[in-house]
Amino acid sequence: MSGNPNLQVPEADELKRMSKEELAHLGMALDGVELVEYGERYIPGSPADKRAERHVAMWFLLAALFGLIFIIVFIFWPAEYEPAYSDRQWVYALYTPLIGLTLGATILLFGLGVVSLAKKIMPHEVAIQQRHVGMSDEVDRKTLAAQVLDTGDKAGIKRRGVLTGSLLAAGGALGVAALVPVLGGLIKNPWAERADSPLWVTPWAPAPDGTKVRMVQIDGTPIKPADITAGSMVTVFPAVPGGAMAADAAVMLFRLRSDSVVRIRDGQQGFQFGDFYAFSKICTHVGCPVSLYEQQTGRVLCPCHQSQFNVYEGAFPVFGPATRPLPQLPIELDSEGYFVATKDFVEAVGPGFWENGKFPAWYSEPKEASG
Amino acid sequence: MSSHDTPPTSGPARRRRRSKAMRRITGGLALLFVLTALGVAYSALRPAGETAVAANVDAAQVAAGRQVYETACITCHGSNLQGVQGRGPSLVGVGEAAVYFQVSSGRMPADANGAQIQRKEPLIKPEDIDSLSAYIQANGGGPEIPDGNLRNDAEISRGGELYRLNCASCHNFTGQGGALSQGKYAPALTEATDRQIWGAMLSGPQNMPKFGDGQLTSEEKQAIVSFIQNNKATIDPGGYSAGGFGPAPEGLIAFLVGMGAIVAATLWMGSRA
Repeated sequence: MSGNPNLQVPEADELKRMSKEELAHLGMALDGVELVEYGERYIPGSPADKRAERHVAMWFLLAALFGLIFIIVFIFWPAEYEPAYSDRQWVYALYTPLIGLTLGATILLFGLGVVSLAKKIMPHEVAIQQRHVGMSDEVDRKTLAAQVLDTGDKAGIKRRGVLTGSLLAAGGALGVAALVPVLGGLIKNPWAERADSPLWVTPWAPAPDGTKVRMVQIDGTPIKPADITAGSMVTVFPAVPGGAMAADAAVMLFRLRSDSVVRIRDGQQGFQFGDFYAFSKICTHVGCPVSLYEQQTGRVLCPCHQSQFNVYEGAFPVFGPATRPLPQLPIELDSEGYFVATKDFVEAVGPGFWENGKFPAWYSEPKEASG
Repeated sequence: MSSHDTPPTSGPARRRRRSKAMRRITGGLALLFVLTALGVAYSALRPAGETAVAANVDAAQVAAGRQVYETACITCHGSNLQGVQGRGPSLVGVGEAAVYFQVSSGRMPADANGAQIQRKEPLIKPEDIDSLSAYIQANGGGPEIPDGNLRNDAEISRGGELYRLNCASCHNFTGQGGALSQGKYAPALTEATDRQIWGAMLSGPQNMPKFGDGQLTSEEKQAIVSFIQNNKATIDPGGYSAGGFGPAPEGLIAFLVGMGAIVAATLWMGSRA
């Protein structure tokens, strides 16, 4: 339709007699493209022709060489970690650059080979294509539309109700499947367990038999007051299985100087033990671990969005996007003199959520500080 | 009379008898002396074994330390180490660890009070630092950096774990340091020596919290020091650490340099077509 209407299509026996080059010209001409210039780049067998071939082959051979080196390095180079005091550190340090450089060089050289193949070996051509201006002809548009619609009629889409219905069902199910990860969170009710909901309860909650949970360091060492010097901060975890991995359980245990003046939130008197204060390590903004503790100013910084909490102010937020203080964990000593959590946090740990502060308390103390 | 009679004959015998008595007396005295000496030596040595401080107290060194203190420190820390309001804190009980860290890293004597006292070339000579440490240690005690090897290269991986839990939040996971509030910052650990790292952990300089031996044992501190020093001595696998700040600068360089190279190559190919 967009071809050349003026072109005389040759007869079958004439086609048989035509050379490959003539056929190529004819094919282009039938598509409305005229080859103005077409042919070998160099005279076959001439010195320039051979030079071009050598040139292209050189790129491909180099690519093959680097590819081989990459394979050898990847398989045989000692890639095991060597510490800095080892004499063989440089051997290890060379592994990544070597596989990167060799594979990179292979791809680059192959690309250069292809480019120079197109430039030096492939026939040079100058082609002119005739193009119509504006939209297609009336006849082209009418026939194409009729063709599409007629295909539908011939397939009998209109009378095949079951097929249409099943197709719609498949599409609908696929759409819902795509939405499930988004809507899935609305299916399960996190408040079904009321006060025992995982959003309220952390591993610091005492066991059903009343056993209080010990504070341990990451290696499981329980902590005595004498272990911690004034001006220190220790990250502690509940001594229960999985306690160090629980997202809401990490706690910072501070020992402040005995002359520090600390503001204690309403209803949280006695949560501290002497100069020891325990606050949740989980930022109340979006739940990053806050742990950049400035022991002179008493500020604890969150590395994600620069929220700052002041330990001397009951871990109130003093800067940044966080709006709630870090929840304080009530602590005491057990019979062996190690720190335990008296009870669970009295407010939700971590980022704020809609029901935070509204949900009926499982303790009678006020949920939010008035101070 | 008999005694009178005997002298010519029994003179040597009497002398012998007397010398026997003398020997007993002198022997007893000698025994007494040795026992006393042993007792004295024991009483002198025993406390030395129990508290290293007593043995290390060298009056001359303490006096020399006082000289250094009165030259370089007294303005801000007061004539009795009690501190001066608005200038410097009390040094009673800070110990040798704090003195060594602050003075050997050049932070003390400080140029001026500010958000943060910065590291610089140390002004005080190493032997004077020792004297000063002895003087501060003699007046209030405090934590001391142990002698000997402060590393344990077999525990680098454990050190890394402890470093990431306790240190990396401020000092960055490659020890490059980072910003704190209001102009304060956690310094890079690039120049920190084993003893300085140990001293900082023990004494909690400026806004750094303390990590006493009850919190991080000596073995754990050795592991951390090893990790930090190993980290610094490690050759960057990429050849260049891009500041050691992780994916952000690495990604930026990959994007700018890599994409730039691709665009340049495309333009070059197009221009030669």
